[in-house]
Amino acid sequence: MSLFDKFKSTAEQYNALVAATERDPFGVSMDEIKGPTRAIVKGKEIVLAGTNNYLGMTFNKDAVDAAKIAIDEAGTGTTGSRFANGTYAAHRKLENDLAEFAGYKYCIVFSTGYQANLGAISALAQPPNDVILIDADCHACIYDGCQLSGAQTVRFRHNDPESLDKRLSRLDENVSGKLVCIEGMYSMFGDVAPVGEFVEVAHRHGAQLLLDEAHSFGVFGDGGRGVCERDGVLADVDFYTGTFSKSLASIGGFVMSNHPELEYLRFSSRPYMFTASPSPANIAAANAALKKIAEDASMRTSLWENANRIHAAFTQLGFELCAETSPVIAVKMANREQAFMAWNFLMDHGVYVNLAIPPGTPNATSILRLSVSAAHTNEDLDAVVGAYTALSEALAS
Amino acid sequence: MSGIQEDDDLVFRKIASLIEPLNDKGVKLTRETDMIADLEIDSVSVLDIVMDIEDSYDISIPVNTISEIKTIGELVDAIHDLKKEQS
Repeated sequence: MSLFDKFKSTAEQYNALVAATERDPFGVSMDEIKGPTRAIVKGKEIVLAGTNNYLGMTFNKDAVDAAKIAIDEAGTGTTGSRFANGTYAAHRKLENDLAEFAGYKYCIVFSTGYQANLGAISALAQPPNDVILIDADCHACIYDGCQLSGAQTVRFRHNDPESLDKRLSRLDENVSGKLVCIEGMYSMFGDVAPVGEFVEVAHRHGAQLLLDEAHSFGVFGDGGRGVCERDGVLADVDFYTGTFSKSLASIGGFVMSNHPELEYLRFSSRPYMFTASPSPANIAAANAALKKIAEDASMRTSLWENANRIHAAFTQLGFELCAETSPVIAVKMANREQAFMAWNFLMDHGVYVNLAIPPGTPNATSILRLSVSAAHTNEDLDAVVGAYTALSEALAS
Repeated sequence: MSGIQEDDDLVFRKIASLIEPLNDKGVKLTRETDMIADLEIDSVSVLDIVMDIEDSYDISIPVNTISEIKTIGELVDAIHDLKKEQS
Protein backbone atom coordinates (compact mmCIF):
# COMPACT_ATOMS: atom_id res chain seq x y z
CA MET A 1 0.00 0.00 0.00
CA SER A 2 1.22 3.51 -0.74
CA LEU A 3 -0.03 7.07 -0.88
CA PHE A 4 -0.49 6.69 -4.62
CA ASP A 5 -2.78 3.63 -4.60
CA LYS A 6 -5.92 5.73 -4.28
CA PHE A 7 -5.25 7.46 -7.63
CA LYS A 8 -4.94 4.23 -9.57
CA SER A 9 -8.50 3.55 -10.70
CA THR A 10 -9.18 7.19 -11.65
CA ALA A 11 -5.86 7.38 -13.49
CA GLU A 12 -6.59 4.22 -15.48
CA GLN A 13 -10.02 5.48 -16.50
CA TYR A 14 -8.58 8.88 -17.43
CA ASN A 15 -5.68 7.44 -19.42
CA ALA A 16 -8.02 5.19 -21.38
CA LEU A 17 -10.22 8.16 -22.31
CA VAL A 18 -7.24 10.29 -23.35
CA ALA A 19 -5.65 7.42 -25.31
CA ALA A 20 -8.81 7.10 -27.40
CA THR A 21 -8.50 10.73 -28.53
CA GLU A 22 -5.69 12.85 -29.90
CA ARG A 23 -5.39 15.39 -27.11
CA ASP A 24 -5.67 15.63 -23.36
CA PRO A 25 -8.64 17.95 -22.70
CA PHE A 26 -7.31 18.79 -19.23
CA GLY A 27 -3.78 19.50 -20.39
CA VAL A 28 -4.31 22.10 -23.11
CA SER A 29 -1.66 24.80 -23.24
CA MET A 30 -2.50 28.10 -24.91
CA ASP A 31 0.82 28.68 -26.65
CA GLU A 32 -0.01 32.22 -27.66
CA ILE A 33 -2.96 34.44 -26.70
CA LYS A 34 -4.11 36.55 -29.64
CA GLY A 35 -6.89 38.42 -27.83
CA PRO A 36 -9.89 37.76 -25.61
CA THR A 37 -11.36 35.20 -28.02
CA ARG A 38 -8.43 33.73 -29.94
CA ALA A 39 -5.33 31.67 -29.11
CA ILE A 40 -2.74 29.53 -30.83
CA VAL A 41 -2.61 25.90 -29.72
CA LYS A 42 0.09 23.70 -31.31
CA GLY A 43 0.45 26.07 -34.25
CA LYS A 44 -3.27 26.34 -34.96
CA GLU A 45 -5.48 29.36 -34.26
CA ILE A 46 -8.62 28.50 -32.31
CA VAL A 47 -11.70 30.38 -31.10
CA LEU A 48 -11.86 30.48 -27.30
CA ALA A 49 -15.44 29.53 -26.39
CA GLY A 50 -14.76 27.95 -23.02
CA THR A 51 -13.57 30.76 -20.73
CA ASN A 52 -15.16 32.94 -18.07
CA ASN A 53 -14.30 36.12 -19.96
CA TYR A 54 -17.97 37.11 -20.13
CA LEU A 55 -17.45 40.82 -20.79
CA GLY A 56 -14.29 40.19 -22.80
CA MET A 57 -12.21 42.77 -20.93
CA THR A 58 -8.89 40.88 -20.60
CA PHE A 59 -7.39 43.16 -23.25
CA ASN A 60 -9.39 46.29 -22.39
CA LYS A 61 -7.03 49.23 -22.88
CA ASP A 62 -7.95 51.01 -19.63
CA ALA A 63 -7.43 47.84 -17.60
CA VAL A 64 -4.14 46.99 -19.32
CA ASP A 65 -2.82 50.56 -18.89
CA ALA A 66 -3.86 50.67 -15.24
CA ALA A 67 -2.07 47.38 -14.56
CA LYS A 68 1.12 48.63 -16.22
CA ILE A 69 1.10 51.86 -14.24
CA ALA A 70 0.50 49.91 -11.01
CA ILE A 71 3.56 47.74 -11.66
CA ASP A 72 5.70 50.85 -12.29
CA GLU A 73 4.43 52.59 -9.18
CA ALA A 74 3.94 49.75 -6.68
CA GLY A 75 5.97 46.80 -7.95
CA THR A 76 5.14 43.28 -9.05
CA GLY A 77 3.95 41.82 -5.75
CA THR A 78 3.04 42.77 -2.19
CA THR A 79 4.97 39.87 -0.57
CA GLY A 80 2.60 39.88 2.36
CA SER A 81 -0.92 39.16 3.55
CA ARG A 82 -3.76 41.67 3.90
CA PHE A 83 -3.37 41.20 7.65
CA ALA A 84 0.30 42.27 7.67
CA ASN A 85 2.13 44.35 5.03
CA GLY A 86 -0.05 43.42 2.03
CA THR A 87 -2.80 46.05 2.28
CA TYR A 88 -2.02 49.02 0.02
CA ALA A 89 -4.20 52.07 -0.58
CA ALA A 90 -5.30 50.42 -3.85
CA HIS A 91 -6.75 47.38 -2.03
CA ARG A 92 -8.79 49.69 0.22
CA LYS A 93 -9.91 51.81 -2.73
CA LEU A 94 -11.14 48.75 -4.63
CA GLU A 95 -13.07 47.61 -1.53
CA ASN A 96 -14.73 51.01 -1.33
CA ASP A 97 -15.47 51.15 -5.06
CA LEU A 98 -16.99 47.65 -5.09
CA ALA A 99 -19.19 48.43 -2.09
CA GLU A 100 -20.29 51.70 -3.64
CA PHE A 101 -21.01 50.09 -7.01
CA ALA A 102 -23.10 47.28 -5.56
CA GLY A 103 -24.72 49.32 -2.79
CA TYR A 104 -23.36 47.50 0.26
CA LYS A 105 -21.72 49.12 3.27
CA TYR A 106 -18.77 46.78 3.71
CA CYS A 107 -16.42 44.89 1.41
CA ILE A 108 -13.34 42.74 1.92
CA VAL A 109 -10.99 41.80 -0.92
CA PHE A 110 -9.38 38.33 -0.93
CA SER A 111 -6.63 36.92 -3.14
CA THR A 112 -8.96 34.71 -5.23
CA GLY A 113 -12.68 34.05 -5.54
CA TYR A 114 -12.08 30.56 -4.18
CA GLN A 115 -10.57 32.08 -1.05
CA ALA A 116 -13.40 34.61 -0.67
CA ASN A 117 -15.93 31.78 -0.25
CA LEU A 118 -13.51 29.62 1.71
CA GLY A 119 -12.68 32.55 3.99
CA ALA A 120 -16.22 33.80 4.52
CA ILE A 121 -17.85 30.43 5.18
CA SER A 122 -15.10 29.00 7.38
CA ALA A 123 -15.03 32.12 9.55
CA LEU A 124 -18.79 32.61 9.81
CA ALA A 125 -19.90 29.08 10.75
CA GLN A 126 -18.33 27.18 13.63
CA PRO A 127 -18.94 23.79 15.21
CA PRO A 128 -20.68 22.52 17.21
CA ASN A 129 -23.77 24.74 17.14
CA ASP A 130 -23.78 26.48 13.74
CA VAL A 131 -25.23 24.75 10.66
CA ILE A 132 -24.50 25.43 6.98
CA LEU A 133 -27.08 24.57 4.34
CA ILE A 134 -25.79 24.42 0.77
CA ASP A 135 -27.33 23.96 -2.64
CA ALA A 136 -26.29 20.51 -3.90
CA ASP A 137 -24.68 22.02 -7.02
CA CYS A 138 -22.55 24.60 -5.21
CA HIS A 139 -18.97 25.09 -6.39
CA ALA A 140 -16.09 23.18 -4.81
CA CYS A 141 -14.94 26.28 -2.91
CA ILE A 142 -18.25 26.39 -1.03
CA TYR A 143 -17.93 22.70 -0.14
CA ASP A 144 -14.32 23.32 0.92
CA GLY A 145 -15.40 26.32 3.02
CA CYS A 146 -17.84 24.04 4.86
CA GLN A 147 -15.12 21.48 5.45
CA LEU A 148 -12.65 24.07 6.71
CA SER A 149 -15.27 25.49 9.06
CA GLY A 150 -15.99 22.04 10.47
CA ALA A 151 -19.63 23.03 11.09
CA GLN A 152 -22.45 20.59 10.40
CA THR A 153 -23.32 20.87 6.69
CA VAL A 154 -26.60 19.84 5.10
CA ARG A 155 -27.25 19.79 1.32
CA PHE A 156 -30.60 20.70 -0.20
CA ARG A 157 -31.86 19.98 -3.72
CA HIS A 158 -30.50 22.22 -6.43
CA ASN A 159 -32.47 25.46 -7.00
CA ASP A 160 -35.27 24.14 -4.77
CA PRO A 161 -36.35 26.59 -2.02
CA GLU A 162 -38.91 24.07 -0.72
CA SER A 163 -36.14 21.51 -0.16
CA LEU A 164 -34.25 24.17 1.86
CA ASP A 165 -37.44 25.01 3.75
CA LYS A 166 -37.84 21.35 4.82
CA ARG A 167 -34.26 21.07 6.00
CA LEU A 168 -34.40 24.33 7.95
CA SER A 169 -37.62 23.12 9.62
CA ARG A 170 -35.90 19.91 10.75
CA LEU A 171 -33.11 21.71 12.64
CA ASP A 172 -33.49 21.46 16.39
CA GLU A 173 -33.58 24.50 18.64
CA ASN A 174 -30.02 24.04 19.94
CA VAL A 175 -28.71 25.29 16.60
CA SER A 176 -27.33 28.79 16.94
CA GLY A 177 -26.22 30.30 13.60
CA LYS A 178 -27.65 29.15 10.25
CA LEU A 179 -25.86 29.98 7.00
CA VAL A 180 -27.50 29.21 3.64
CA CYS A 181 -25.18 29.16 0.59
CA ILE A 182 -26.33 29.46 -3.02
CA GLU A 183 -24.98 30.83 -6.31
CA GLY A 184 -26.51 33.32 -8.74
CA MET A 185 -25.68 31.53 -11.99
CA TYR A 186 -24.17 28.04 -11.76
CA SER A 187 -20.99 27.67 -13.78
CA MET A 188 -21.46 24.26 -15.37
CA PHE A 189 -25.05 24.36 -16.68
CA GLY A 190 -25.55 28.14 -16.67
CA ASP A 191 -28.82 27.80 -14.79
CA VAL A 192 -29.96 30.58 -12.49
CA ALA A 193 -31.17 30.45 -8.87
CA PRO A 194 -34.55 31.81 -7.71
CA VAL A 195 -32.65 34.12 -5.35
CA GLY A 196 -35.74 36.03 -4.16
CA GLU A 197 -37.44 32.83 -2.99
CA PHE A 198 -34.30 31.67 -1.21
CA VAL A 199 -34.01 35.00 0.61
CA GLU A 200 -37.61 34.64 1.83
CA VAL A 201 -37.17 31.04 3.04
CA ALA A 202 -33.80 31.69 4.73
CA HIS A 203 -34.96 34.79 6.60
CA ARG A 204 -38.27 33.22 7.66
CA HIS A 205 -36.22 30.59 9.51
CA GLY A 206 -33.80 33.13 10.99
CA ALA A 207 -30.98 32.01 8.69
CA GLN A 208 -28.53 34.27 6.83
CA LEU A 209 -27.94 33.99 3.11
CA LEU A 210 -24.57 33.88 1.35
CA LEU A 211 -24.93 34.39 -2.40
CA ASP A 212 -22.01 33.70 -4.73
CA GLU A 213 -22.36 35.86 -7.85
CA ALA A 214 -18.97 34.82 -9.31
CA HIS A 215 -20.43 34.02 -12.73
CA SER A 216 -23.30 36.53 -12.68
CA PHE A 217 -21.54 39.73 -11.54
CA GLY A 218 -21.43 42.12 -14.51
CA VAL A 219 -23.76 39.80 -16.42
CA PHE A 220 -27.22 39.95 -14.75
CA GLY A 221 -29.27 42.91 -13.50
CA ASP A 222 -29.82 46.30 -15.12
CA GLY A 223 -26.63 47.62 -13.56
CA GLY A 224 -24.64 44.38 -13.81
CA ARG A 225 -24.93 43.75 -10.05
CA GLY A 226 -25.96 40.13 -10.45
CA VAL A 227 -29.02 37.90 -10.18
CA CYS A 228 -30.00 39.49 -6.84
CA GLU A 229 -30.27 42.87 -8.59
CA ARG A 230 -32.38 41.33 -11.32
CA ASP A 231 -34.67 39.80 -8.66
CA GLY A 232 -34.84 43.04 -6.66
CA VAL A 233 -33.39 41.52 -3.46
CA LEU A 234 -29.85 42.88 -3.48
CA ALA A 235 -30.27 44.67 -0.15
CA ASP A 236 -31.63 41.49 1.49
CA VAL A 237 -28.57 39.34 0.75
CA ASP A 238 -26.50 38.96 3.92
CA PHE A 239 -23.20 38.06 2.26
CA TYR A 240 -22.51 38.70 -1.40
CA THR A 241 -19.37 36.99 -2.71
CA GLY A 242 -17.68 37.34 -6.08
CA THR A 243 -14.49 37.12 -8.06
CA PHE A 244 -12.24 39.29 -10.22
CA SER A 245 -11.41 36.38 -12.51
CA LYS A 246 -14.51 36.44 -14.68
CA SER A 247 -16.18 39.69 -15.75
CA LEU A 248 -13.54 41.76 -13.94
CA ALA A 249 -10.82 40.14 -16.09
CA SER A 250 -8.19 39.86 -13.34
CA ILE A 251 -7.70 37.59 -10.33
CA GLY A 252 -8.94 38.05 -6.77
CA GLY A 253 -12.21 37.83 -4.86
CA PHE A 254 -14.48 39.74 -2.52
CA VAL A 255 -17.23 39.52 0.09
CA MET A 256 -19.72 42.34 0.61
CA SER A 257 -22.35 42.87 3.31
CA ASN A 258 -24.43 45.42 5.13
CA HIS A 259 -23.55 43.77 8.46
CA PRO A 260 -20.77 45.76 10.19
CA GLU A 261 -19.62 42.45 11.69
CA LEU A 262 -18.16 41.55 8.28
CA GLU A 263 -15.04 43.42 9.42
CA TYR A 264 -14.42 40.65 12.02
CA LEU A 265 -13.34 38.43 9.13
CA ARG A 266 -10.17 40.46 8.82
CA PHE A 267 -8.84 38.87 12.00
CA SER A 268 -10.64 35.54 11.98
CA SER A 269 -10.62 34.30 8.38
CA ARG A 270 -7.57 32.13 7.79
CA PRO A 271 -7.73 32.30 3.95
CA TYR A 272 -7.61 36.11 4.33
CA MET A 273 -4.86 36.22 6.93
CA PHE A 274 -2.45 33.55 5.79
CA THR A 275 -1.87 34.20 2.12
CA ALA A 276 -0.36 37.04 0.12
CA SER A 277 -2.68 39.81 -1.04
CA PRO A 278 -3.46 40.36 -4.74
CA SER A 279 -0.65 42.07 -6.66
CA PRO A 280 -0.92 45.79 -7.51
CA ALA A 281 -1.45 44.97 -11.20
CA ASN A 282 -4.34 42.59 -10.40
CA ILE A 283 -6.01 45.20 -8.19
CA ALA A 284 -5.56 48.00 -10.72
CA ALA A 285 -6.94 45.93 -13.61
CA ALA A 286 -9.97 44.85 -11.57
CA ASN A 287 -10.66 48.43 -10.50
CA ALA A 288 -10.46 49.70 -14.10
CA ALA A 289 -12.77 46.89 -15.27
CA LEU A 290 -15.23 47.71 -12.47
CA LYS A 291 -15.31 51.35 -13.60
CA LYS A 292 -16.03 50.21 -17.13
CA ILE A 293 -18.91 47.96 -15.98
CA ALA A 294 -20.39 50.84 -14.01
CA GLU A 295 -20.19 53.24 -16.96
CA ASP A 296 -20.84 51.11 -20.01
CA ALA A 297 -23.77 48.73 -20.38
CA SER A 298 -23.02 47.99 -24.04
CA MET A 299 -20.75 45.02 -23.24
CA ARG A 300 -23.61 43.39 -21.35
CA THR A 301 -25.92 44.00 -24.32
CA SER A 302 -23.44 42.36 -26.73
CA LEU A 303 -22.94 39.45 -24.35
CA TRP A 304 -26.67 38.67 -24.23
CA GLU A 305 -27.04 39.10 -28.00
CA ASN A 306 -24.27 36.56 -28.47
CA ALA A 307 -25.80 34.21 -25.88
CA ASN A 308 -29.20 34.39 -27.59
CA ARG A 309 -27.67 33.68 -30.98
CA ILE A 310 -25.75 30.60 -29.84
CA HIS A 311 -28.59 29.24 -27.72
CA ALA A 312 -31.02 29.54 -30.65
CA ALA A 313 -28.55 27.99 -33.11
CA PHE A 314 -27.81 25.00 -30.85
CA THR A 315 -31.51 24.46 -30.16
CA GLN A 316 -32.12 24.41 -33.89
CA LEU A 317 -29.30 21.88 -34.37
CA GLY A 318 -31.19 19.62 -31.96
CA PHE A 319 -28.64 19.58 -29.13
CA GLU A 320 -29.89 18.86 -25.64
CA LEU A 321 -29.09 22.00 -23.65
CA CYS A 322 -28.79 22.15 -19.86
CA ALA A 323 -30.56 25.46 -19.19
CA GLU A 324 -32.43 28.46 -20.57
CA THR A 325 -30.41 31.12 -22.36
CA SER A 326 -27.46 32.45 -20.37
CA PRO A 327 -23.81 33.14 -21.23
CA VAL A 328 -23.02 29.51 -20.33
CA ILE A 329 -24.45 27.12 -22.89
CA ALA A 330 -23.84 23.49 -21.96
CA VAL A 331 -24.61 20.64 -24.35
CA LYS A 332 -25.40 17.27 -22.81
CA MET A 333 -23.44 14.29 -24.16
CA ALA A 334 -24.52 10.66 -23.94
CA ASN A 335 -21.49 9.59 -21.86
CA ARG A 336 -17.85 10.33 -21.06
CA GLU A 337 -16.56 8.64 -24.21
CA GLN A 338 -18.83 10.63 -26.52
CA ALA A 339 -17.97 13.83 -24.65
CA PHE A 340 -14.21 13.23 -25.14
CA MET A 341 -14.75 12.47 -28.81
CA ALA A 342 -16.92 15.55 -29.36
CA TRP A 343 -14.50 17.82 -27.51
CA ASN A 344 -11.69 16.60 -29.72
CA PHE A 345 -13.84 17.04 -32.83
CA LEU A 346 -14.47 20.70 -31.93
CA MET A 347 -10.73 21.27 -31.40
CA ASP A 348 -10.11 19.82 -34.86
CA HIS A 349 -12.61 22.37 -36.13
CA GLY A 350 -10.83 25.23 -34.36
CA VAL A 351 -13.08 25.74 -31.34
CA TYR A 352 -12.08 25.37 -27.68
CA VAL A 353 -14.85 24.65 -25.16
CA ASN A 354 -14.68 23.13 -21.66
CA LEU A 355 -15.12 19.40 -21.28
CA ALA A 356 -16.77 18.60 -17.96
CA ILE A 357 -17.37 15.08 -16.66
CA PRO A 358 -18.59 13.56 -13.36
CA PRO A 359 -18.06 14.08 -10.46
CA GLY A 360 -17.37 17.71 -11.41
CA THR A 361 -20.82 18.03 -12.97
CA PRO A 362 -24.38 17.82 -11.62
CA ASN A 363 -26.41 14.59 -11.98
CA ALA A 364 -23.38 12.64 -13.26
CA THR A 365 -23.72 14.29 -16.69
CA SER A 366 -20.94 14.67 -19.25
CA ILE A 367 -21.11 18.05 -20.96
CA LEU A 368 -19.45 20.40 -23.40
CA ARG A 369 -19.54 23.75 -21.64
CA LEU A 370 -19.46 26.72 -23.96
CA SER A 371 -19.35 30.28 -22.71
CA VAL A 372 -19.95 33.33 -24.83
CA SER A 373 -18.15 36.61 -24.43
CA ALA A 374 -19.11 40.17 -25.28
CA ALA A 375 -15.85 40.18 -27.24
CA HIS A 376 -16.88 37.36 -29.60
CA THR A 377 -17.16 38.75 -33.11
CA ASN A 378 -19.67 37.55 -35.68
CA GLU A 379 -16.78 35.72 -37.32
CA ASP A 380 -15.97 33.94 -34.03
CA LEU A 381 -19.58 32.90 -33.60
CA ASP A 382 -19.85 31.75 -37.22
CA ALA A 383 -16.88 29.48 -36.57
CA VAL A 384 -18.53 28.14 -33.40
CA VAL A 385 -21.86 27.46 -35.10
CA GLY A 386 -20.03 25.89 -38.06
CA ALA A 387 -18.11 23.51 -35.81
CA TYR A 388 -21.23 22.49 -33.86
CA THR A 389 -23.15 21.96 -37.10
CA ALA A 390 -20.43 19.57 -38.26
CA LEU A 391 -20.51 17.91 -34.84
CA SER A 392 -24.27 17.35 -34.96
CA GLU A 393 -23.87 15.73 -38.39
CA ALA A 394 -21.03 13.54 -37.16
CA LEU A 395 -23.03 12.44 -34.12
CA ALA A 396 -26.06 11.64 -36.29
CA SER A 397 -24.12 9.51 -38.75
CA MET B 1 -36.03 -7.00 18.78
CA SER B 2 -37.87 -8.28 15.74
CA GLY B 3 -39.23 -4.72 15.21
CA ILE B 4 -35.73 -3.30 14.81
CA GLN B 5 -34.70 -6.17 12.56
CA GLU B 6 -37.68 -5.54 10.29
CA ASP B 7 -37.06 -1.81 10.23
CA ASP B 8 -33.42 -2.56 9.42
CA ASP B 9 -34.47 -4.65 6.44
CA LEU B 10 -36.82 -1.92 5.21
CA VAL B 11 -34.10 0.74 5.36
CA PHE B 12 -31.64 -1.62 3.69
CA ARG B 13 -34.09 -2.39 0.90
CA LYS B 14 -34.83 1.30 0.40
CA ILE B 15 -31.11 2.09 0.03
CA ALA B 16 -30.59 -0.92 -2.24
CA SER B 17 -33.43 0.23 -4.52
CA LEU B 18 -31.79 3.68 -4.83
CA ILE B 19 -28.34 2.22 -5.51
CA GLU B 20 -29.41 -0.49 -7.96
CA PRO B 21 -29.71 1.85 -11.00
CA LEU B 22 -26.04 2.83 -10.48
CA ASN B 23 -24.86 -0.75 -9.88
CA ASP B 24 -23.46 -1.18 -13.38
CA LYS B 25 -21.29 -4.16 -12.46
CA GLY B 26 -24.23 -6.06 -10.96
CA VAL B 27 -22.53 -6.49 -7.57
CA LYS B 28 -24.68 -8.33 -4.99
CA LEU B 29 -25.62 -5.71 -2.40
CA THR B 30 -25.05 -6.57 1.26
CA ARG B 31 -24.52 -4.57 4.43
CA GLU B 32 -20.77 -4.92 3.81
CA THR B 33 -20.83 -3.47 0.26
CA ASP B 34 -18.55 -0.42 0.00
CA MET B 35 -20.40 2.11 -2.16
CA ILE B 36 -17.31 3.77 -3.62
CA ALA B 37 -14.74 0.94 -3.69
CA ASP B 38 -17.05 -1.96 -4.67
CA LEU B 39 -19.66 -0.19 -6.77
CA GLU B 40 -17.45 2.59 -8.17
CA ILE B 41 -20.19 5.14 -7.52
CA ASP B 42 -18.62 8.62 -7.39
CA SER B 43 -18.70 10.61 -4.17
CA VAL B 44 -21.22 13.14 -5.51
CA SER B 45 -23.64 10.38 -6.56
CA VAL B 46 -23.46 8.97 -3.01
CA LEU B 47 -24.47 12.42 -1.72
CA ASP B 48 -27.40 12.45 -4.17
CA ILE B 49 -28.59 9.02 -3.01
CA VAL B 50 -28.44 10.29 0.55
CA MET B 51 -30.66 13.24 -0.41
CA ASP B 52 -33.35 10.82 -1.64
CA ILE B 53 -33.06 8.95 1.66
CA GLU B 54 -33.40 12.21 3.61
CA ASP B 55 -36.66 12.98 1.86
CA SER B 56 -37.99 9.43 2.33
CA TYR B 57 -37.38 9.45 6.08
CA ASP B 58 -37.74 13.18 6.72
CA ILE B 59 -34.32 13.43 8.35
CA SER B 60 -31.20 15.45 7.54
CA ILE B 61 -27.93 13.55 7.21
CA PRO B 62 -25.04 16.03 7.44
CA VAL B 63 -22.31 15.87 4.77
CA ASN B 64 -19.84 15.49 7.66
CA THR B 65 -21.50 12.17 8.62
CA ILE B 66 -21.69 10.88 5.04
CA SER B 67 -17.98 11.40 4.44
CA GLU B 68 -17.27 8.84 7.17
CA ILE B 69 -19.72 6.27 5.75
CA LYS B 70 -18.31 3.63 3.42
CA THR B 71 -20.64 0.62 3.47
CA ILE B 72 -24.39 0.24 3.04
CA GLY B 73 -24.58 -1.15 6.59
CA GLU B 74 -22.96 1.99 8.01
CA LEU B 75 -25.52 4.09 6.14
CA VAL B 76 -28.38 1.98 7.56
CA ASP B 77 -27.01 2.47 11.09
CA ALA B 78 -26.57 6.24 10.58
CA ILE B 79 -30.19 6.53 9.44
CA HIS B 80 -31.40 4.69 12.57
CA ASP B 81 -29.34 6.99 14.79
CA LEU B 82 -30.65 10.11 13.11
CA LYS B 83 -34.27 8.89 13.13
CA LYS B 84 -34.00 8.47 16.89
CA GLU B 85 -32.31 11.85 17.35
CA GLN B 86 -34.53 13.89 15.04
CA SER B 87 -37.90 12.28 15.84
